[in-house]
Amino acid sequence: MTTPLPADPPRMPVAEGVPAGWHRLHPLTPVVRAGSRLFALVAVLAFIALANQRQDSSEIVTDLVVIALALSGGFISWLVTRWQVADGVLRIDTGLIRRDSRRFPLSQVQAIDVVQSGLARILGLAELQLRVAGGDASRGGRLACLRRADAERLRAELLAYSTAARAVQAVSPGGGPVNGPIAPAEALDPATADPGTGAIPAGAAAIPERQLFRVRSGQLAVAIALSRPGAIAFAVVAAVTAFVAVTGKTAATATFLPTAIGIAATVWRWFNGEYGTTVSASPDGLRLNSGLIQTTAETIRPGRIQAIRLVEPVAWRPFGWCRLEVDVAGPRVRRESRGESGRLRALIPVGSKADAVQMLAAVLTSQPMPDKLVPRRVRFKAPLQYHFLAFGSDDNYVVSSDGRVTRTTTWIPLEKVQSVRWIQGPVQRLLGLSSVRLDVAGKRVTGAIEDRADAEARDLLMRLPDLARAARARSG
Amino acid sequence: MSAEPDDGLNWQRPSPKLLRCRRIQVALVTVLVALAVGLATASASSVAGAVSAVGVLVAGLVAERFLARRVASWGFAERNEDLMVRRGVMIRRQSVIPYGRMQYIDITAGPLERSLGLATLRMHTAAAASDARIPGLDQAVAAKLRDQLAALGETQAAGL
Repeated sequence: MTTPLPADPPRMPVAEGVPAGWHRLHPLTPVVRAGSRLFALVAVLAFIALANQRQDSSEIVTDLVVIALALSGGFISWLVTRWQVADGVLRIDTGLIRRDSRRFPLSQVQAIDVVQSGLARILGLAELQLRVAGGDASRGGRLACLRRADAERLRAELLAYSTAARAVQAVSPGGGPVNGPIAPAEALDPATADPGTGAIPAGAAAIPERQLFRVRSGQLAVAIALSRPGAIAFAVVAAVTAFVAVTGKTAATATFLPTAIGIAATVWRWFNGEYGTTVSASPDGLRLNSGLIQTTAETIRPGRIQAIRLVEPVAWRPFGWCRLEVDVAGPRVRRESRGESGRLRALIPVGSKADAVQMLAAVLTSQPMPDKLVPRRVRFKAPLQYHFLAFGSDDNYVVSSDGRVTRTTTWIPLEKVQSVRWIQGPVQRLLGLSSVRLDVAGKRVTGAIEDRADAEARDLLMRLPDLARAARARSG
Repeated sequence: MSAEPDDGLNWQRPSPKLLRCRRIQVALVTVLVALAVGLATASASSVAGAVSAVGVLVAGLVAERFLARRVASWGFAERNEDLMVRRGVMIRRQSVIPYGRMQYIDITAGPLERSLGLATLRMHTAAAASDARIPGLDQAVAAKLRDQLAALGETQAAGL
């Protein structure tokens, strides 16, 4: 860049809401860090003590020493950890033997979230997670744990500070515009900063977030019961009860126990993960909060969305429910198991069609609908899917729909297309058909335009890469 | 094989030695399987052993007939902005990979390929499903193609 340096460097605002100086985390942090392991340890020790029936004081002392040792690591870590907000930077110092000092410039903050694990929620604590632009997501800042109210207030202060700092930078020469389809409308309000000293008064309003959707727990429970894991769980329970009723051998049910536990765990994890899902629009993108026992928060920036999928399983169709998912590029959220990361992020775990339409309007810049149906001869090849196979496209997206039992509509942003493939199987060759597939980053979603007339498919194969390139050039 | 429209592109083919490489592979596998099957069924009766071994050999010969068509179907074409790769006889495939989307290119060669002086070139994008693979290139051709593609990829890099 050849722009000259500005004559006066922009005056960065000062955060007055956060008290100056170094702070410690909450004293109960070691307990939360030890987490469920501590519970298990205490339970085992209590059980042993009760079973032995001896209230020998030396035994109790030994038990307490064991518990203290388990907490000692967390306690030492708490002792040496301190944090400070100064000069527009959040500093977190930790480490006993090897000092680790991290600095997070607040003007580059991408997301600040307040999350709670189950134990933290019981104790009234919360963890503050900070993500900074350009940093490795796994090394974002973490303040674990603070009191819940303190954490919320700190988040509001830091967010207000960060927007003011970014507004100052955007106005000064050499600062770039804030980009993204959701950004401009939301208020970036530098007026909260005092023009004289640039100080932000304590308690300044955080960025207003417009809530787009919140899932209803009753709907979620019914939807999970009606889905495949729920159906399998019902089947297993029905089989076991039938078995017991017919043969009368209750002892044999123990063999079903591992399967039952596995399925129950899957269903529970699903419900726990998507309970209370709330999606709100913010200048940084879509903010996604969810969780029952353990809350997680995530910010989905519009540029990271690789594919959007609308799913309508057959069991939900009588109610008119559907599910909206997005595939997002980037590292996995911490604490996410591999099985969960195989599923897409659910913007709408279960909701009505009207909710889906509203969310699609917020996520997509334009909404092509699949209106080009497949030729009649596809009936011979895919009689069940025939009515649902279709595709559509415009300058920004390619949308395709398919599905036998589960109707799926997939939007693929053209600028995210990695490669385009044309496939023709032997049956398709007989019928003069072929398919086109669009690949995006990752391995979870592929846009599939199935069973088009051969000439049309070849034409798509030639045209789509050019359209994708044009879309990439437009998005810069 | 019904004529595949060339779309006016300059389709290049892998080296003719690829057919020889595939033939050797099929021969090796057929002989080994015939031996194994023959020995296994010879315990029942030596006639059955001989018959099953001959059966496997016949299957190998039939497979070899199809080899020529499969090898002939591999092709690649360098266009201005992307690379096209086609393959397959029963299931025909054609891939288009923009140069700017190429994340990395690697060249591998198994022991049989190496002894014939061939190599396989693979292009990877950020999508796991992208399959652009050109087997049976002469090693010099493969190296030159890799350098060309890498240079084009860098000038048109588009990342994620």
